[in-house]
Amino acid sequence: MTLSHYATLIDTMARLSLKADASRYFFGYIWWVLEPLLYVLVFYVVFELILQNRKEDFVVFLMCGQLAFVWFSKSLNQASRSILGSKGLVGRVDIPKSLFPLATIQEGLYKQAAVFLLLFVVLFAKGYTPSLVWGWLLPVMLVNYLLIVACSLFAAYLVCWVFDFHVFISMATIFLMFTSGVFWDPRDLDPAMTHWVLTLNPLAFLLDAYRQIMLAEIAPNAVHLAIVGGIALLVALAGLFLLRRHSRFIALRVITS
Amino acid sequence: MLELVGVSHHYMARKNSFDHGLHHVLDNVSLCVMPGDTLGIVGRNGAGKTTMLRLMAGIIEPRQGLIRRRAGASCALLSLGLGFQDSLSGRDNALLSAMLQGVSKRDALASLDEIREFTELGDSFEEPVKTYSSGMRARLGFASGLLTRVDILLIDEVLSVGDAQFRDKALGAMQQRLGGEQTVVFVSHAEGQLKALCDRAVWIEQGQLRAEGAPEEVIAQYRQPVGAGGGSARQP
Repeated sequence: MTLSHYATLIDTMARLSLKADASRYFFGYIWWVLEPLLYVLVFYVVFELILQNRKEDFVVFLMCGQLAFVWFSKSLNQASRSILGSKGLVGRVDIPKSLFPLATIQEGLYKQAAVFLLLFVVLFAKGYTPSLVWGWLLPVMLVNYLLIVACSLFAAYLVCWVFDFHVFISMATIFLMFTSGVFWDPRDLDPAMTHWVLTLNPLAFLLDAYRQIMLAEIAPNAVHLAIVGGIALLVALAGLFLLRRHSRFIALRVITS
Repeated sequence: MLELVGVSHHYMARKNSFDHGLHHVLDNVSLCVMPGDTLGIVGRNGAGKTTMLRLMAGIIEPRQGLIRRRAGASCALLSLGLGFQDSLSGRDNALLSAMLQGVSKRDALASLDEIREFTELGDSFEEPVKTYSSGMRARLGFASGLLTRVDILLIDEVLSVGDAQFRDKALGAMQQRLGGEQTVVFVSHAEGQLKALCDRAVWIEQGQLRAEGAPEEVIAQYRQPVGAGGGSARQP
């Protein structure tokens, strides 16, 4: 399979799946933005209305982190089960197994484009105007995407090995939601703790980078961003290698699961 | 074109079933398929026929033994009820199916009308596959597989389902393809089809090759009551 055919397949699988998904729901494509907004609403009700959070512009702060986090968590959870969920195809054609998680991630990427667009509209309405610093959003989004690919490929591989692993992935996502500063600001912590949270948790670093760029007009630490991106790229390549090397073993696990 | 040398395969099963949790599906099977051959496989349910086709297609690896396929030979496995994404329409499934077989998107898109026409599904071709009956699925599976040009076609019972009219049409289309250099391995319980299409047949029983030869002879042995045909019927 040539690289261009592989890429076209990923894109086609993602588009077909989006189309099928939209026709299944009454609100169709509206769910692309409605679902993340509902997540934000839930957090808003809990932290702003019930717990009386006094942070300035909390909704915007929340959206910047939450919308990127949901992109990561939904992609990871769906991609990790994508190979097992395609039992029919896996049992019929000898194809690269990485197609399934990558197509799922691609589907999430198309939805996320709409979500980011919505975020920009809200930010604009709230008086935040784009400046040159916003150019940093592109590399931050790229690293975010690489992180999703790296985690998803590994997770998909492990779930094929031991199905029970998907329980662990759900737990890990909840853990990350609480530790990545989705609804709290790592910069409000003790400076030493802020340093540790942003250093140890790449997702916390990325969410903070989005906020720094869009809300404070401050560029992220380029070296830190490059290191996170580099490691994610290496892990993603390792995941691709494993899925390729054990392709037929995975097929056997999926067929007999 | 395709050769199996001493191929054995087993699945892990529950600990207290089969052989201490090992389900032996194929046991030391060797056979050879030449270019242009049409090989029929008969055997009871669970005899290892589908596993054999999956091994031939390179979807899974044998635990022991070798499978040699001519370098660069493309291979398609047509099977019932498998390989469709239920929420996608017949058209989208046919597109995906062709592309997964290695056909470029442009060629796959160009072949869709031909596939639609062959399946005679009409407007149902645009409906999700989950609304299809098993006969309709068989039509879609057969058409999208047959119209994709591959070197080795592996057919798993697809022709056993569907109404008589479509079976005849599918059989006719198959025969047309068989006139050329198409290599086919064909699993079916429809003995008439096997006799009509195949040059050679093998009988698989409990993972072992029990008989190999002309379709009429092999089917006659297979039809004998269990125990009467036995392992002695095996031919070189």
